[in-house]
Formats: sequence, C-alpha cells, structure tokens
Amino acid sequence: MRILLVEDDRLLGDGLQAGLTQAGYAVDWLRDGEAAVAALSTESFAAVVLDLGLPKRDGWSVLQWLRGRHDATPVLILTARDQLEDKVRGLDLGADDYVLKPFDLDEIAARLRALVRRAHGRPEPVITVGEIELNPAARTVMRAGQAVELTPREFDLLHLLLQNANRVLTRRALEEQLYTWNDAVDSNALEVHIHHLRRKLGSELIRTVRGVGYTASTAAALP
Amino acid sequence: MTVTPSYSLRRRLVWLLTSSVAAIWVLSTLVVYQRAHREADELLDSQLTQVAETLLAIVAGGEVDHFVKELHENARRDPVPITFEVWRTHDGRTERLVTSPGHAELQTGTTLGFSEHPHHGTNWRFYAAQDSEAEYRVVVGQAHASRERLAREVGLSLLRPAALALPLMALTVWWVVGRTLRPVDVVARQVGALDAQALAPLDESDPLPAEIAPLRTALNALVRRVTEAFDNERRFTADAAHELRTPLAALKVQAQVALRTQTAEGRQHALLQVMAGVDRMTHLVEQLLTLARVDPANQTKPPPLDPADIIASVCAESLPQAELQKQSLSVDVAPGCTVVVTAAWLQIALRNLVDNALRYAGEGAHIQVRVAASGAGCSITVADDGPGVAPALRPQLGARFVRGEVEEEGCGLGLSIVSRIAALCHARLELGDGLPRADGGHGFAATLHFSAAPGHA
Repeated sequence: MRILLVEDDRLLGDGLQAGLTQAGYAVDWLRDGEAAVAALSTESFAAVVLDLGLPKRDGWSVLQWLRGRHDATPVLILTARDQLEDKVRGLDLGADDYVLKPFDLDEIAARLRALVRRAHGRPEPVITVGEIELNPAARTVMRAGQAVELTPREFDLLHLLLQNANRVLTRRALEEQLYTWNDAVDSNALEVHIHHLRRKLGSELIRTVRGVGYTASTAAALP
Repeated sequence: MTVTPSYSLRRRLVWLLTSSVAAIWVLSTLVVYQRAHREADELLDSQLTQVAETLLAIVAGGEVDHFVKELHENARRDPVPITFEVWRTHDGRTERLVTSPGHAELQTGTTLGFSEHPHHGTNWRFYAAQDSEAEYRVVVGQAHASRERLAREVGLSLLRPAALALPLMALTVWWVVGRTLRPVDVVARQVGALDAQALAPLDESDPLPAEIAPLRTALNALVRRVTEAFDNERRFTADAAHELRTPLAALKVQAQVALRTQTAEGRQHALLQVMAGVDRMTHLVEQLLTLARVDPANQTKPPPLDPADIIASVCAESLPQAELQKQSLSVDVAPGCTVVVTAAWLQIALRNLVDNALRYAGEGAHIQVRVAASGAGCSITVADDGPGVAPALRPQLGARFVRGEVEEEGCGLGLSIVSRIAALCHARLELGDGLPRADGGHGFAATLHFSAAPGHA
C-alpha cells in the first residue's frame, strides 16, 4: 500500500520511511509542502502522513488544499504541537487522525491500517472474500482456514485487489499503489505476481479484464 | 525578607498638623499673654496713680472719711484691691491720717512715684504722691500676686478656646485626610485583586489625583513588562518543547527501525542516524542553555574591548569545519575599533554567526568577518557568498526556532541568541546582503552595530 510521507526533518523522515516500509507500506517521502501538493495532484496514495511544520507550504495549507479539491485520501497528521486548539483545527480541516511526536512506529502503522480500512468503508479489520481471509495487521492470508505464504509484494497486491473487490483495477492504478518512485518496476512484474497469486490461491479469485486490468471477484464461480 | 514597619500616613498627618498648629497657638498665646500682662500693668499703674491723686485731692480738701468708706466698698469688688495710707506733715511733725485696714506701715520712705518692695512677706507695687506744699502724702499699693492673677486670667481666657479647638481640629484633619487618601485605598484594593497568573493592567479610566496617577501609570507599565516577559518565557518553553519532540521522535523511530532491520547494512544505517540524532539534540540543548545563560542578571558593565582577539579565536575554532566543507575564512579588522560588550557574549554571538555562515553558505563558500567604524560606533559583520536569504524572509530569521529554507538542519536558535545578546548590549543586529557571488547575486550577511562607548566617542 502506497503512502505519502511529508516530513521536513531528515532524521525523522528517514526513520519513518524505513519503519513504514518494514511494516509493509510503499513509502514516498517528500520534505516540503509544495512538493506534496504537486505529488498529490498527479498521483493517488492510500494515505498521507503529514507533518504540520513544513517549509514552503505548511501542513495546514496542504490539508486545506487537498480537501478543497474533494480528495478523500486519509490524512494522518504528525505534530509536535500538543495544544488542544491545534488538534481541533487539524481535525476540523479534514484530518482523519492526529499523532503527537514522539510516537511509536507500531502505533503509526496501526493507525494507518485503520485509516485505510475506514476509507474503504470496512469496519472489521480482516478482509474476507470467498474462502480467502486477509489480515492487514498481521499481514497473513488464510485460504479455507489454511495459512498461505506470500511475498510482501504479493501480499500488497492481494490486499489491493481484495480491498477493491468486484471493482476493476487498471494496471497503472495497481502499479501506482504498489511501487514507490524509488522502485525499479519491471514491465511484466505485475503479471508475474498475479500468476503467483493464482497459483497459491486458486485461479478463480483474480480475473483478468482484457485491455483494462484485474479484479478480485466474490462470486468466484462466475464464468 | 525583612518587612519595614509601616506607618499610617493619616495618623502622621493628624499628629504633625495638630502638634504644629498647637505649637503655633501656644507661641502666639504666649506673645498675647505677655502683651496682656504689660497692658494690665499699665492699666493698674494708671489706676494706682489715679487713686493716689484723687485721694490726695480729697485729703487736701478735708473730705477724707466718706471717700475712704467708698474706697473700702470698691476694694471688696475690685479683683486687685488697692491698699493705701495718707500722711500729713504739719509744723515739722508727720502723722498718719488714714490707712486701709490691716495694712499699717505701708511705707515710710520718701521716694515719690512707683516703687516695689516687700510688704507682709509678698511683693507689692506702690505709688507715692504728695501735694505741692508737701503737707499731705499719699501712698497706694497693690499686691503683685493679685496683679499677676489678673494677667494670668486674661491669658487663660485666650488659651481656653484653643484647648477646645485643638481636638476638634484633629478630628477634622483625620476626616479630611481620610477622604483625600481614599483613592490610595482604591488603588491598593485594585492592586490587591490582581491575579499573578493573569496579570492585567489597572483600569486607567477612573480619574485619580495627580499625586497618585503616576503610581498607577508606573504600576501598569510594570505589569505590561512583566506580562510580556512572562509570555515570552511561556512561548519559549512551548517552542522548546516542540523543538525537542521532533528529534526525539526521530531517535525513537530510528531506534525501532534498527531493532527490526534484519540486514547488518540497514541496521548500521539506522544506528548512524540515531547517533546523528543524539548529536543534533546535544547541539539543540547546548544552544537552549546558551540562550538561558545570556541573561541580563549576569550583566556587568564591561570595559570597551578590541574585538580582534575574539574574532581570531572564533575563526580558529571554526577552521577545521570550514576546511571539511572546503570553505575559506577571512578576517578584516579596521584598527582602533572598540566595542562595549562582555567578552564571553561577543564570543557566543560571533560563534553563532560564523557557525550559521558555515552551515548555510554551502560547500566552497567564502566567509568574511569584518570590523569597521560605523557612525559614531563600530560594526562587526559576518558575510558569506552563499545562496543568501530573500529580503522578505529576513525579518523572521531572528525568531526562535525559525530556520532558513535550506536543506541544512540547524536548530533555529543561533540568530535568536545573537539578537538577544545585541539587545542586551544596546547593539543592533542587521541582516542583509553578503558578499557578491559569481552569478551576480549576493550571499547573506549579519552585522552587529555597536554604539560608541561612553567616553570613546
């Protein structure tokens, strides 16, 4: 799942990128508000982790801009300001969550999962499609009660497909959500991952829509 | 803390006013008493003369008995009774014709006119007169004590109203002073009601007497200064806490990443980041402590000093870092320039300015420290040929925790420290264009303008 991290502090940004990557996210890290606006206007992210004190354009302004264009991407605010009015202002401007520095990596990861889950309108933490159960927190997948071993990339791809079950995801959308700018993407890497997933989970789950993309179907018996 | 015993202005005023008025009263009464005494004397003397002359005329006319009886009658009513004797000298014989009862042998002397001598053990005043033929001789006298009593009574009659008026006046003064001092009570109550946590100036719309108004004005000025200092400290604490949180968050996250990273290379990277974070926090804490140490309380009146040595030592300290970043440092000191500043503070200020230049001017930059005469005083400039700072952004730079828009990370306190030192030694910090760059632009320069040292104009 691709996350946009906007944090001007080099040490903190570096640590968060490393930590969230370990937690299974594809993290793109930007260090100022202008760059964040530029990135958000052209690409989509599963969530944004936004620091408030940013050079060029502060976090408030980025958040206001984002909500102003009706972009519902979940935003988690990182801040060192613990004043209540700051918190209220952040949430009122459309932030989805608010974390005070210093924080725990696990907490950030968990809050991000919750944000993404809520953004897809799912109250329960485990995604179930047919006989497949995917647990984003534990990063585990069960097929008919049996654990299935997936690589991180396969897991993320499956997560995306199941999250958007019954919807067709284009190749481009999938790649955008899976890879950061730093990842070298092989042109047929996606096909390879889909192939592996089908082998591990059964060929009925993921369907190819020719010329468009892929979809995970709950009615696995469809022709 | 010792408390000076307080006194009541009211009691003091009442006491001072009443006692001084009483003193003046007593003095003037004494003067009046003296005059009354003299007047009474003159009056009684003329009475004595008159009685003696009348007596003499009557005696010479032969109508003595009737007059003597009348005189006795009068003497009983008179506050100062007159005693008398009449003598007749006829054919070489002197005989006493009349005498007031109980007062024989008033005088046998020959002096005419006024005289004083004892009689019956007390002092008396006499007047003697005789007719032209020296046949009849009259002596009249009055006891001094009686005369004194009369004078005293006159005096006392003057003092008596004063004795009554004084307490009345004390009461009036008490009341008037109380009324006049009421505004003081009002101000005292207002000051007493001030909340130390939320100081607010006293309401200046109430009219106050000219004597007390300056007190309220001064108090309000103090309240404003204290509030400002208090707000400043509170903001500083909040800012400092805020500034400490980000590096702490970075440390924690990097440490967690190090713990979870499987590869030795990744762990190494995270641990190096932890070290860098600790270094940064150390720098931040040191700068905070420096800022706290630059306190007006520690200020003593420094003598004017030649900044050359301090500049040399600051540059020497910074040289290794400059070389590491391929930067060059030069010093240009005009001779004879002195500045009035505590040596340690100048060192802190210059170290911060040079440190900023090294940090933000970029690799290969040139940094110049220049001392020049400016106006009546002297200025010290640290200039570089780095990227510079846009004029619009310069005013914010002196604020605490504001960093320039650059990749380099400082803690944003350097210029705050410099401007605080500048404010404390009455110098002016000016941020402007630095050295010219090859591309036609200018780097950044910070100049400290010191005013002329007193006596060194």
